[in-house]
Amino acid sequence: MQQLWLIPLLPLAGFALNGLFGRRFSKTVINAVAVGSVLLAFLWVLKSLSALGAFSGGLEQTHVEHYFTWIQSGALNISVDFAVDRLTAVMLLIVTGIGTLIHIYAVGYMAHEEGYYRFFAYLNLFMFFMLTLVLAQNFLLLFVGWEGVGLCSYLLIGFYFTEKYATDAGNKAFIVNRIGDFGFSLAIFLIGIHFSSLDFGTVFSQAKALPIETSPGWITAIALLLLVGATGKSAQIPLYVWLPDAMAGPTPVSALIHAATMVTAGVYMIARSSSIFLHSPVALNVVAVIGLATAFFAATIGLLQNDIKKVFAYSTVSQLGYMFLGLGTGAFSAGIFHVMTHAFFKALLFLGAGSVIHALSGEQDLRKMGGLAKKIPITCVVLLCASVAIAGVPFTSGYFSKDLILESAYEYAPWMFWVGLFTAGMTAFYVFRAFFMAFTGEYRGHHHPHESPFVMWGPLAILAALSLGGGFINIPKYLEPLFPLAEESKLPPLASYSLLLVGLVGIALAYLMYVAAPKLPESLANAFRPVYTLIYNKYFIDEAYDSAVVNPVIDGSRSLLWRTIDAGAIDGTVNGVGKTARAMGNVLRHFQSGYIRSYAGWVVAGAILVVIVMGLTGVTR
Amino acid sequence: MSTLDVVLFLPLIGFLLMLFTPKENPNISRWTALAISILVFVVSLGLLAPYWFAYPTGYTFQTYKPWINFPPIHYHVGLDGLSLWLVLLSTFLTPIAVAISWKYIDHRVKEYFAFLILLEFGLIGVFVSIDLFLFYVFWEISLVPMYFLIGIWGHDRRIYATVKFFLYTFAGSVLMLGAIIYLYNQTGTFDYAVLHNLVSSGHLQFGAREELLLFLAFFIAFAIKVPLFPLHTWLPDAHVEAPTAGSVMLASVMLKMGTYGLLRVCVPLFPNAAHQSAQWVNALAVTGIVFGALVALVQPNMKKLVAYSSVSHLGFVVLGIFSFTQQGLDGAVYQMLAHGISTGALFVLVGYLYERRHSLEISAYGGVATVAPNLAAVFMITTLASIGLPMLSNFIGEYLVMQGAAQANFNWVIVAATGPILSACYMLWLYQRVFFGKASESVTHHVFDLTGREWAAILPLLALMFWLGSFTQTFMPAITMQNAAILQGTQPSALAASMAQRLAPIEMPTVSSEPRPTGAVSAKVFSPHRIMAIPPPDMQLSGLPRGDR
Amino acid sequence: MMPTNAEYLRFLPEIILTLTGVLIMFLEAVLPSGETKTNIFAPLSIVGLAAALFAAATADPGAAFHDMLIIDPFGTFFRVLVCGIGILAVFSSSEYLRRENMPGGEFYALVLFSVMGQCVMVTANELIMIFIGLEISSIASYILAGYLRDDTRNNESALKYFLLGSFATAFLLYGVAWIYGITASTNLEAVRHAIETPGFDSFALAGVAAALIFVGLGFKISAAPFQVWAPDVYQGAPAPVSAFLSVGPKAAAFAVLIRVFLTAFGPIADRWTPLVWGCALATMCVGNFAAIKQTNIKRMLAYSSIAHAGYILVAVTAHSDTGAAAAMFYLAAYALTNIGAFAVVTYFARKGEKYVAIDDFAGLAQRQPMMAAMMTIFLLSLIGVPLTGGFFGKFYIFKSALDSKLIWLSVLGLLNSAVAAYYYLYILVVMYMKEPGESAENLPPVGFGLKVAVYASAIGTLILGIFPSFVLDYASRTILK
Repeated sequence: MQQLWLIPLLPLAGFALNGLFGRRFSKTVINAVAVGSVLLAFLWVLKSLSALGAFSGGLEQTHVEHYFTWIQSGALNISVDFAVDRLTAVMLLIVTGIGTLIHIYAVGYMAHEEGYYRFFAYLNLFMFFMLTLVLAQNFLLLFVGWEGVGLCSYLLIGFYFTEKYATDAGNKAFIVNRIGDFGFSLAIFLIGIHFSSLDFGTVFSQAKALPIETSPGWITAIALLLLVGATGKSAQIPLYVWLPDAMAGPTPVSALIHAATMVTAGVYMIARSSSIFLHSPVALNVVAVIGLATAFFAATIGLLQNDIKKVFAYSTVSQLGYMFLGLGTGAFSAGIFHVMTHAFFKALLFLGAGSVIHALSGEQDLRKMGGLAKKIPITCVVLLCASVAIAGVPFTSGYFSKDLILESAYEYAPWMFWVGLFTAGMTAFYVFRAFFMAFTGEYRGHHHPHESPFVMWGPLAILAALSLGGGFINIPKYLEPLFPLAEESKLPPLASYSLLLVGLVGIALAYLMYVAAPKLPESLANAFRPVYTLIYNKYFIDEAYDSAVVNPVIDGSRSLLWRTIDAGAIDGTVNGVGKTARAMGNVLRHFQSGYIRSYAGWVVAGAILVVIVMGLTGVTR
Repeated sequence: MSTLDVVLFLPLIGFLLMLFTPKENPNISRWTALAISILVFVVSLGLLAPYWFAYPTGYTFQTYKPWINFPPIHYHVGLDGLSLWLVLLSTFLTPIAVAISWKYIDHRVKEYFAFLILLEFGLIGVFVSIDLFLFYVFWEISLVPMYFLIGIWGHDRRIYATVKFFLYTFAGSVLMLGAIIYLYNQTGTFDYAVLHNLVSSGHLQFGAREELLLFLAFFIAFAIKVPLFPLHTWLPDAHVEAPTAGSVMLASVMLKMGTYGLLRVCVPLFPNAAHQSAQWVNALAVTGIVFGALVALVQPNMKKLVAYSSVSHLGFVVLGIFSFTQQGLDGAVYQMLAHGISTGALFVLVGYLYERRHSLEISAYGGVATVAPNLAAVFMITTLASIGLPMLSNFIGEYLVMQGAAQANFNWVIVAATGPILSACYMLWLYQRVFFGKASESVTHHVFDLTGREWAAILPLLALMFWLGSFTQTFMPAITMQNAAILQGTQPSALAASMAQRLAPIEMPTVSSEPRPTGAVSAKVFSPHRIMAIPPPDMQLSGLPRGDR
Repeated sequence: MMPTNAEYLRFLPEIILTLTGVLIMFLEAVLPSGETKTNIFAPLSIVGLAAALFAAATADPGAAFHDMLIIDPFGTFFRVLVCGIGILAVFSSSEYLRRENMPGGEFYALVLFSVMGQCVMVTANELIMIFIGLEISSIASYILAGYLRDDTRNNESALKYFLLGSFATAFLLYGVAWIYGITASTNLEAVRHAIETPGFDSFALAGVAAALIFVGLGFKISAAPFQVWAPDVYQGAPAPVSAFLSVGPKAAAFAVLIRVFLTAFGPIADRWTPLVWGCALATMCVGNFAAIKQTNIKRMLAYSSIAHAGYILVAVTAHSDTGAAAAMFYLAAYALTNIGAFAVVTYFARKGEKYVAIDDFAGLAQRQPMMAAMMTIFLLSLIGVPLTGGFFGKFYIFKSALDSKLIWLSVLGLLNSAVAAYYYLYILVVMYMKEPGESAENLPPVGFGLKVAVYASAIGTLILGIFPSFVLDYASRTILK
C-alpha cells in the first residue's frame, strides 16, 4: 500500500479548509493551505512513485489499491480503487507538478482579486477531482473525476459571477460537457452490460481476448460513445465551442484547466481504454479524422483572433486535435507525449499571456499592445521559449511530440500527414503573429506596463526550461509496456525535411507580415474578403448552434410543450372533466321546475318505465 | 407493542396532544410539534437495529392483531428493507418541516402544526401497513392533512390547487379500493404478505384480462401519486400553492407513496400484467423524464420549476422499477431517497428565498450570491445534488436505474440519458438568474444570509446528500436484499417454475426462509384456513410469524 | 283466537310510542302555557323513544298477530335504528322550536307517531300492514314538513310532499292489489311461496305488481326517477325536520324494500335486479351531479341524500345477505352522519333560517372550531374517507356488489363517490379556507340539545368508522327468508 488516497485527499483538505473558513483567513494562511496542499500532493506523488520504482524502470505492472466498496447491486460491484501504472504516473506528475507551479503563480496574479479564498478553494477542488480521474481504477470512479473537473471548470469560468458573459460561458462549458457525458454514460452502461463490470482490470483483460471488429459492432459502439465523451471534455469537433468562451475565467484557470490538464482528460481516457479502441478500427479512424479536422479547423480560426487568450484557446483546441490524431493513428504514447509537452508550453503561453495582461492591467487585445519587449523583458523571453516550442522548431519539446504524431499519421494515411503538416505551419504562424503583435513595433496602448513579481515569473522560468528541454524526456519509451512502439518508421526525405522546416517557415511568414511589411495582412484580407469574414467570425458556428439547437429547444418547450400540451391539452382535459360535471349538474337542475304537476308527470313517466321494464325483462319460466 | 407501533402511533398521540395546546400562545404549539417530531425521529432510529449488521428479507417489527372480524381486517404492520428507509425519511423530514415553518406560519399556528404531525402519522402508516386494507386507510388519511395544509396556508390559488390535489388522488384511490375488495373476494384475505405468497407460489392466479384490470386499478392510483406523465398536472399547482413545509413533505415523501406502491403492490402481485405493460409504462416514464425537464426549463416560477423537475426525476424511478432488473430496482429505491433529500432541500431553500423577497418569480431575483454567500453556496450544493453530480445523492440512483434499464431495453436509456443534460440546463440557468449577476436594489434590501435556525434545518439535508452519494453501502444492502426477493418472485421464469411445481408439495418460499431477527416479531398466529386458494396448512406465509403453525 | 301476551310484548315499542304521543297531546291541551309546559315535552318524548328503543332491542323474536308482524333481527335492527333517529331528531329540534317560537307539544307527538309508523313498517310481514305503517309515518311527516304554518316555504314543501307522496302511495296500494289478485295473499312468505310453486305462470303480472310496489317505495327512498320531490321538500322544511325525513322514513322504506324484494319477490329477482341496477346508477348520478351546482346547503344535502339512496340501491341490487347487511350498516352510518350534518346546519342557520347558503359558512372554523370540526367529520364520512362510518358503509356495499359480480356498477359507483367528494369538499373549503364574513359574526352559543345531537352523531360516526364490527356482525346475522 502506498496510501495513494492521500494524493487527491490533500487538495480536498485544502478545499475544505479554505472553503469553510477561508473568509476568516488572512491571505498568507490561504496561500499556505492552497499551495501547500498541492505541493504536498506533488511530493507524495514523487514519494509513492519512487517507492513503486517508477523512476527506476519499475512499475511495469499496474499497482492497485482497494479502499471500500462503493456500490454493490446484484452482480454489479463498484468499489473505490486507485491504481498507478506508467500512464497514470505521467499524468500524476504533469497534474501535480504544473498544478503546483500554477498555484504559486496564481498567488501573485490573483493578489488583488475579490473572493481570493474562493478561487483557491475551487482550484484545490479541481486538483482533487483531476487526481481522482487519473487514479481511478474503474469507469464510474473515473466518471466521478470527469464530472468533478467539469464542475470546477464551471465554477472557475464563472468566477466573476457578476458578469453575465462569464456565467454564460460557465453554463455553456458545463452543458456542452454534459452532452459529451451523455455519450460517456451510455458507453459505461454498455460496458456494464457486456463485461458485467466496470473495473479496468476486468474490462480490459476481457476486451483484449475479444476479436477485432472489422464491421461495426458493440465494441465500436462503446468506443464511439467514449469518443463522444472525449470530444466534449477535450473540445473536439463538434463540441469544442465551449473552450474559447471558457477564457472568461482568470488566466491561471485557463492555463491549468483549459490548457494543461483537464482538457487532456479525453486523451487520457481514450489512451486508457486503448484496448477497447484497438478492437475497433472504425472507431480509431473516426478519432483520427476528428482530431485532424479539429486541428486544422481551429488553427485557421486562430489565424485571425485579436484577443491574445482567444488565440491560445484556439491553438489549444488545435493541439488537442493533434493528440487525437496521434491516438487515432495508433500512436497512443505519442498522444500522451504531446499531452505532456503541450502542458509545458501551453501552460507557459497562458501564464505568459497572463503576465502580459497583468502588466497591462487587464488589456487582452493584441491590437492595443506592441513594443512590450523592452517594457517586460522576462515575460517576453519566456513567451518566446513557449512560442518556439509550440511552433515545433527543431529540438524544442513541441517538435519531438508533434513529429512522432505526424510520423504515425504518415504511416496511417499520407494525406493526413500533409494536412497535419500544413496545420503545423499555421500554428507557427499564428503564435508568432501574436508574439510579434505584442512585443515588437510601437506600443499602441495607453497603460503603463510593469514587469510581474517574482512569484509569477519564477514558475514561468521553470516552465520555459521544460518547454525547451521537455522533449528529451522519452515518454514513448517509458510507456512501452502499455503501448508497444511501432518499429522505427522511415519518412520519405521530402516529408522529413518539410517536417523539420515547417515551423521556421511559419515563423518567417509571421515575421514578414507583422514586422517587415505590416501592410500586407490588410491587403490580403481585402483580397480574400469573404473567406476572411467567414474565418474572422469563427465560421458562425456559435450562431448556427444557437439557431439550430438552443432557441428551438427553448421556444419549443415554452410554446408547444408547456403552453399547448401541458397547460392546454393535458391540464385542459383534467379541468374539462370538472367543467363537464358542473355542466351536467346544471342540466339536471333544470328538471327541478318546482311545479307539482311536472313532478307528478315525472313520477308517472317513471312508473310507466318501471312497469314496462319489469313486465318484459327476465325469463318467463 | 413493537418499536414500530410506537413510531407509528406517537405522531397520532402527538396530534391529539396538539389539539389541547392553547390557541393564544403559538410558541407552545411550535415547541410541542418540534419536540414530538424529534422524539419520533429518535425512536425511529431504533428501527435500524435489525438491519445494521444483518439484512433480514422477511418482515421485522411485525404486529398482527385482528381489527375487524368480518371481513377479516387486521392491524398488520411490519418493516422490510423497502419501507425501512422511507419510514426514516418521513420521520427525518418532519422535524425539518416543523423548523422551516417556525416563522413562515404566523396565523392559525396551532392547527398548522397539528396537521403537520397528523400527516406524519398517515405517511408512516402507508409505508408500514402489510394489510392492504390498512394500507388504503392510511393512504386516505395522509390525504386529509395535506389538503388542509395547502388549502389554509397556501398562496393565492391554493383552493383550486388543493381541491384538484384531493380529487385527483381520491379518484385514483377509489379504483384501488375496488381492486382491493376484488382481491379479497378472490382470496378471502387482505393480507399483503399472504397474497404475495399465494401469487409467488402459484396458488393464486388471475385470468390475463382480470390481472391486467387489477394491475391497472392499482397502477392508476399510484401513477397519479408519483406522478407519472400525463397524470402529473396536479403537482405543479399543488407545489406552487403549498406552504414551504407542505411542498417539502409532498415532494419528499408523499410522491414516494406512489412509487412505493408500484414496487410493493403492482409488480409483486401482478407480475405478468406488469411485464406486459412494461413497454408502455417505460414509454410514459421516459416521456416524463424528457417532458418534465423541458417544461421545467421554461418555468418563470421557481417552485413550478422544481415541481416539473420532480416529474422528471420520478420518471427515473418508474423506469427503474419497470426494468425488472436488480440494478433498476435498487436504483429506483435509492432514487426515491435521494430525490426526497435533494428536492426537499430545494424546496426548503426556495422557501428561504420566498421568506425574504416574498416572490417565487425568478425574475424578481438576481445577484443573491453577493448579498447571501452562504445561501448561495448551500443552494449550489443542492443544485449539484439534484442534477446528479457524482458523490452527491441523485447520481447513484440515476446511474443504477439507467444501468438496469439498459439491460432491459437500451433504447429507453438513450432517451432517458438526456435527462441529466436537461437537468443541468434548467437548474444552472435557474441558479444563474437567481444568484449570479449584479444584485438589484430590491434584492440587496430584502435578502439576508442564512440564520441559525435555517442552518439547523438545512445542514442535515446537506450532510445526507454527501452521505447518500459517497457511502452508498450504508443504505444499499437492505434495499438490495428486499429487491432481490421481489424480483425472485416476479421473473417470468420463476413464475413458470412455480406454476409447474404448483401441484407438487409446497416447500417454504425462500423469501420467508430467511431467519428473522429474534425478538423483532410480536404477532399472533395466522390461520391460513381463511384462504380460498387453500394452500397446504404447513405452508409458511411470507413475513408471518413462524410461531405456532 | 286472542293474541297472546308475548305478541303484545313484541308490539310494545309501538304501544309505548303511541301512548307517549297521545299523552303529550293531552298535556298540550290541559297544561297552562308557560316555561314549564314548553320544557317538558322534549324530555318526555325522549323518555318515550328511549323506552321504545329499549323495548325493541329486548323484544324476543317471533311473529305476532297472525303473522302480520314478524320480529326478526332484521326488524329489530331497524326498530332500534328508527327510534334512535327519533331521539336524535328530538334533541336537534328542541332548540330550533324555541328559536322559532313554536315550542308546541304536537311537534314531538308527530315525531313519535311517525317513528311508530316506521316501526310498524320495518316489522310488517304483510303488505297491508306495510301500507298502514307507511301511511302513519307519512302523514305525520307531511305535517312536520309544514310545521311552521306561517312560513310559506314550509307550506309549499308540505303541500308538495303530501300530494306527491299520496300519489306515489296509490301506486303501492295498486301493486298490493295486483299481488293479491295473482297470489290470493298479501303475506310475504305466502306470496313468495305462491310464486315459487311449480305451475305458477303469471310472472309478467307479478313483475308488474312488483314494479308498482317499487314505485311507491322508490318514491319514499327518493330513487330516480322518483326523486324530484326531495330537493324542494328538504329545502323548504324546517332543518331538523329535513334531517328526520332524510333518514327516518328513508331507513324504514329501505327496510321494507329489502324485505319485500328479497323475500316475496326473491324468485323473480332476474326481473327486478336489472331495473334496480339502472335505478341505482341513475340515482347516484342524478344526486351527485345535481348537487355540484347547489348553493343552498339544505338543498345540497337533499341531493346528496338522493345520491346515498343510490349507493344503498347498489347493495339491494347485489340481492344477497351480505348486500342486505351492507345496506343496514350503511343506513345506520348515514343516519348518524346526516342528522349530525343537519344539526350543524340547524345551529348555524339561526332564526328564520337566515344563513343556509353554503358561502355563509365562511370562516366557521375560526369562530366555532368545535362545530366546524364536527361538520368536518360528517362531511368526511359523507365523502367516504376511512375511519368514518360512511367509509365502511361504502366499503361493505361495494364489497357485496363485487361479491355478486356487479363489477361495472361498482366501478361507476366508486367513481361517483369521487364526484361527490367535489361538492362536500367545497363546504370544507368555505369553512376552513375562507375568511369569516358577517354571517359568521355573533354566533350564539351551542345549546344543550344540539350539542348532544351533534356530538352523539359524531361519536357514533367515528365508532362505526373505527370499530364497525359490532354493528355489522349483528346486521350480517340477520338472514332474510
